[in-house]
Amino acid sequence: MNAQALKAETTTDRHPLAGQSMSGAEVIVQVLADEGVGVLFGYSGGAILPVYDAVFRHNAEHPRADGGEAMPLVVPANEQGAGFMAAGYARASGKVGVAIVTSGPGATNMVTPVRDSMADSIPLVVICGQVGTAAIGSDAFQEAPVSNIMGACAKHVFLVTDASQLEATVRTAFTLARSGRPGPVVVDVPKDVQNATLAWHGSGELLLAGYRARLRAVEQSALGDADCAAFFAALMRAERPLIYAGGGVIAAGASAALRAFVDAFGLPVTTTLMGLGGFDSTDPLALHLLGMHGTAYANYAVDDCDFVLALGARFDDRVAGVPDRFAPRAKFIAQVDIDPAEIGKVKAVDWHHVGPLVRALERLTAWGRAHGHQPRLAAWHAHVAKLKRVHAMNYDRASALIQPYAVIEAINRHTRGNAIVSTGVGQHQMWAAQYFDFRAPRHWLTSGSMGTMGFGLPAAIGAQFAHRDKLVIDIDGDASIRMNLGELETVTTYELPVKVVVLNNVGDGMVRQWQKLYFKGRFAASDKSLHRKDFVRAAQADGFAWAQRLERNEELEATVAAFLAYPGPAFLEVMIDPDAGVYPMVGPGASYAQMITGDFIPSRAAPAAPGDSPSHMF
Amino acid sequence: MNHTLSILLQNEAGALVRVAGLFAARGYNIDTLTVAATHDPAVSRLTLSLQCDEAALGQILQQTRKLVDVLQVAHPAAALAA
Repeated sequence: MNAQALKAETTTDRHPLAGQSMSGAEVIVQVLADEGVGVLFGYSGGAILPVYDAVFRHNAEHPRADGGEAMPLVVPANEQGAGFMAAGYARASGKVGVAIVTSGPGATNMVTPVRDSMADSIPLVVICGQVGTAAIGSDAFQEAPVSNIMGACAKHVFLVTDASQLEATVRTAFTLARSGRPGPVVVDVPKDVQNATLAWHGSGELLLAGYRARLRAVEQSALGDADCAAFFAALMRAERPLIYAGGGVIAAGASAALRAFVDAFGLPVTTTLMGLGGFDSTDPLALHLLGMHGTAYANYAVDDCDFVLALGARFDDRVAGVPDRFAPRAKFIAQVDIDPAEIGKVKAVDWHHVGPLVRALERLTAWGRAHGHQPRLAAWHAHVAKLKRVHAMNYDRASALIQPYAVIEAINRHTRGNAIVSTGVGQHQMWAAQYFDFRAPRHWLTSGSMGTMGFGLPAAIGAQFAHRDKLVIDIDGDASIRMNLGELETVTTYELPVKVVVLNNVGDGMVRQWQKLYFKGRFAASDKSLHRKDFVRAAQADGFAWAQRLERNEELEATVAAFLAYPGPAFLEVMIDPDAGVYPMVGPGASYAQMITGDFIPSRAAPAAPGDSPSHMF
Repeated sequence: MNHTLSILLQNEAGALVRVAGLFAARGYNIDTLTVAATHDPAVSRLTLSLQCDEAALGQILQQTRKLVDVLQVAHPAAALAA
């Protein structure tokens, strides 16, 4: 074969269905199939019926080799559940999560997961049905201004008014969701566009000249010799350098590159809530979580360090509550991020690079090695080891009441960082973040920035669809799980072996903690002790064959073992010490030096007594 | 300080709302706003003015550049001064 013929063959590499006539709904489903979407999450309704019908027909016509459906449609109890399932799937797999909902309430119920995914940079494509083009703006049945609403909280939203653009638009949505800083993309499709007769092309995307030019510039930017030299000049002057690693390490798939960088230069690593799993938390150089509820040793190390390398982290208010007093002894702050808007947004930096994290780390590692840079950090390593030893996480191990930390530790003795853990939001989320081992990326699913209660259960369901053979555990709170309790039935409907733990402290524990500290113990609306809810019976009613309540400390180990060993869906409610608090705590407006470490973690300075001044931070 | 920005925008459904919404959501008050056609019917030019300090201006320029419909953001006065 000569070269000319080969070239001709590749240019005529047409989609097998090119030229075929399809409905708009079929076009949407075909793009999903071409993108390799393995599962869809969504709830049906009038304005999205053509797409649901096209999914049904696609699955009937394209059975998998094992007889299963090519693109199973997982139906939640509420559209918010579908959104968080798609997000859990995306977080656990690194692939784009897809949700399909109807117009009006279907779309507005999806707003929370879309905003949550935007805030945590999670790639989603959400297809919303919309009323017919002619009815838009007429206050039609189940109409909502989705492009206005979603435009304010998604990475991008398309309202498809020209049916001929539908195929390119849906394909482009995937590119947008996964490229650069990932995020959710919403495609609002009027019903008449779903029913339009279209010719399938099989390729082609929207131009988006501005976005693509900016993306190309970021993706192609590389660290020059001068950049590397400036970085290492500062690093070699430093005596106490520290890496502050965020969710960008996970999103970029940069944990191996980070490991290699640390192996080469020996910088200790602290991770944000979103960065957990980006660096093995059991490593001697790992300082685990930093910030408002970070480990005391991580926060003290931040206070002591003289050099910070921020990787895919954005100095948010749960980490740098008082930016001027964050890492106060740092003489040099370096920042690498994929998003130019994050450079210096909160805290001025001395050196930065906007570009793909893996390439930046690999380049720095190679450059530093080639120039023989080997920071001498023995004294700093000894200091970090001492901080970890002296200020280790601890709690009341003698209490007769079940301590939530002990529950996490008991589960962790079985899982050792190998289970996928999702959470709701509040105290249980922080305890899970503090007491679990995190050894690999994409094993920790939590609503970091938005802090959405109710995230845990649907996220666990989505993750189980991404990893059918993995142990997936939702660590939840009694208040958080209530927000999406309806999804218990989704677990059993799809026979998912998800393990659900409810740490029940009979209230909104984190809110109570703040009310204790800052509102003189006036527990406005956070006490749930009068509720008659029986969680175990609720789980049983939804088909959980294994559902138990744990109330005695001495049964903890055996119950946790039986719970985790159960092969199917299992539900464990644990009645925990209702006064258990989350420590350490860097109060709002406080510096790390003023951190409260509680009664069981030694502090190195007497913290300032908390006043009852109202907080502006919560 | 008063700043005037010139933004080239793809003429898509909701594009103007997204620019205006971004400024509002990030706490900036738009003083004046003009939208005009360009020689390319698919592109509009948006000229807006606002009061903010230099650091805030840099941040809102970066945030505006993250909008997918935005082709170009310019700060003509700064470009002239430079």
